[in-house]
Amino acid sequence: MSKGVIAALANGLVFVTGKGGVGKSAVAAALSLALAEAGRRTLLLGIDPRENLHEWLGVAPSGGERLAIVPGLVLESLRPRLLIDREVETRLPIRLLARQLLAHPLYHQFVDGAPGLEELVVLAYVERCLHGEFDVVVLDGAASGHALGQLLAPALVAEAVRGGPFARLAARLRGLVSDPRRCRTVLVTTAEEMPAAETFELAEELTAAIGVPAALLVINQLAPDDLPVARAGEAAPLVLWRRRLARQQRERERLRSGWSGAVTELPWLPLPRGAALAHALAEWLAAAPEAPA
Amino acid sequence: MKRWPRLLVFVGAGGVGKTTLAAAAGWLSARDGARTLVMTFDPSHRLRQTLGVGAEAALSEIPVAGAPGGRLRASLLDARTTFDRLVERYAPDAVARDRILGNRFYRTFSGSLAGVLEYMAVERLFEVRAAERYDRIVLDTPPTREALDFLGAPRRIVEFLDSGIVRLAFRSWFDDSGRPRLTRRLGPLGRRVEAGLDEIVGVDLLRDMVEFFRAFGPLYEGFRARAAEVERLLREPETGFLLVAGPGEERIPETLYFARRLREHGCHLAGVLVNRLHPPLESAGPWPPLLAFLSRRDGEGLRLLAERLGEIPLGGLPLLGDEPAHLAGIERVAGELETALADLG
Repeated sequence: MSKGVIAALANGLVFVTGKGGVGKSAVAAALSLALAEAGRRTLLLGIDPRENLHEWLGVAPSGGERLAIVPGLVLESLRPRLLIDREVETRLPIRLLARQLLAHPLYHQFVDGAPGLEELVVLAYVERCLHGEFDVVVLDGAASGHALGQLLAPALVAEAVRGGPFARLAARLRGLVSDPRRCRTVLVTTAEEMPAAETFELAEELTAAIGVPAALLVINQLAPDDLPVARAGEAAPLVLWRRRLARQQRERERLRSGWSGAVTELPWLPLPRGAALAHALAEWLAAAPEAPA
Repeated sequence: MKRWPRLLVFVGAGGVGKTTLAAAAGWLSARDGARTLVMTFDPSHRLRQTLGVGAEAALSEIPVAGAPGGRLRASLLDARTTFDRLVERYAPDAVARDRILGNRFYRTFSGSLAGVLEYMAVERLFEVRAAERYDRIVLDTPPTREALDFLGAPRRIVEFLDSGIVRLAFRSWFDDSGRPRLTRRLGPLGRRVEAGLDEIVGVDLLRDMVEFFRAFGPLYEGFRARAAEVERLLREPETGFLLVAGPGEERIPETLYFARRLREHGCHLAGVLVNRLHPPLESAGPWPPLLAFLSRRDGEGLRLLAERLGEIPLGGLPLLGDEPAHLAGIERVAGELETALADLG
């Protein structure tokens, strides 16, 4: 495996996040494809209740079943709620009691309302998958605000719960998310003012929350600067495009100069949302050197 | 949009430009002479940046400097601040108040409890609306995983309050030595159940939660009455929703889904606005290939969406050369928004 972006993310949990609409899922899918291509046993995990990753890999929604995509890559859309139910079933000593508990409205209210429970269960699942079955788990995380909640949950729960298995689990998972050799955060952004501003904010909060800076910044959807020299009386769409490109360049420079970690860039390709685009981006990532800013 | 509703709610997926459009709508409304408040529940505080107000907007409504006629104010929601204020308002006495504010569970989770941000959004909205200091309120909705979660938030809170969990919390679950009473009475079987419970969640955690719900007891009635009124407010004819969508065919299923959810909820959908459309290319070019692709994609998407929306009014806003990140650029967006709103009929 060559030394590059992919080599630097080749094991443990890769947590992909960013502001809504910047192409998180596309980047997560492309990263997974590139990792699998590089020979890593890869699990791409989605936690959005409305499944969307399958669109990037050219398969039908599976309703939660694991799907083999290419050799070395498995896609799974996780339902945290089902995981919790399964856990109760295996742990409760009396089967009848377990069934009654699972059917009880109070149980549902507890599970829906218990803060941090879903987040912990997702991380516990990741931990289990990394125990021999997969080399790397790419988690297509929620958008910025919720992503922070996902990574903060272990610390919050560990602090609020005094003892018992919950506290032990939370403490162990806090260890996972704050270990730079086992958990790496990938922030996705576009070269636009608001996503860029939010990316810096999120990066700072993440570092404060888990004590580890993001492993990689992906500047996504960079339009190629392929315009001829400006002429007087140019058509309005060209004038607009020129201004967008100038703004993109400004934001791109701001991102690169303000970022102290690794950065990589992905082009905006004239392709519709789908597998062809994800594969094209994967090739791009596979060739990308790990670029220190 | 023929008539401006007293409460205008912007909804839509993350990253489509809701916050900027909400600010622009506030600007338009103030220009037309209406006392207007723009409220946002965006934790990343982008409206704050756009409107140039400081963190104090989380506590009160701050005038937006440079807005037309000085009639525009902005307010930011912070779940924790609003929650604390609610506790202070509804707690029957200082003892009850301190018991909640001091509960470890509350201190750690009041900002992150499931649905709290959404509920606090509508709660604060109601508070402002009831005070009648404004002719119009423009609301930028929270970026939830399911972008319409906040619609159901009041109902979920009421259901939660009506459910057994609250009544149950008032029973004496734990004896003086801190052991669960129920399982003690059950003898050896009880010990097994207790061990099972402890194995799953930990009895300590249960005890903290029970304490939390009990501390909240005196507040329930106020919450319940308020949640029902908020629910009504979201459905009344004086409340209009604008659904903001990204351009391109691939966004259509999501847009149709939001539109359906709104209608199912009994909300009045004033229209759908497709934001940031790449310009149509009239001549053959040559154009940069990416621009040509995006232009075609957006034109086709808009046409298909119009077909599928049927009766629902549809408007479009063009991509701008410079997206405003500050008030100075809002006027330009406001102009485009005004045109798009007129298109809604």
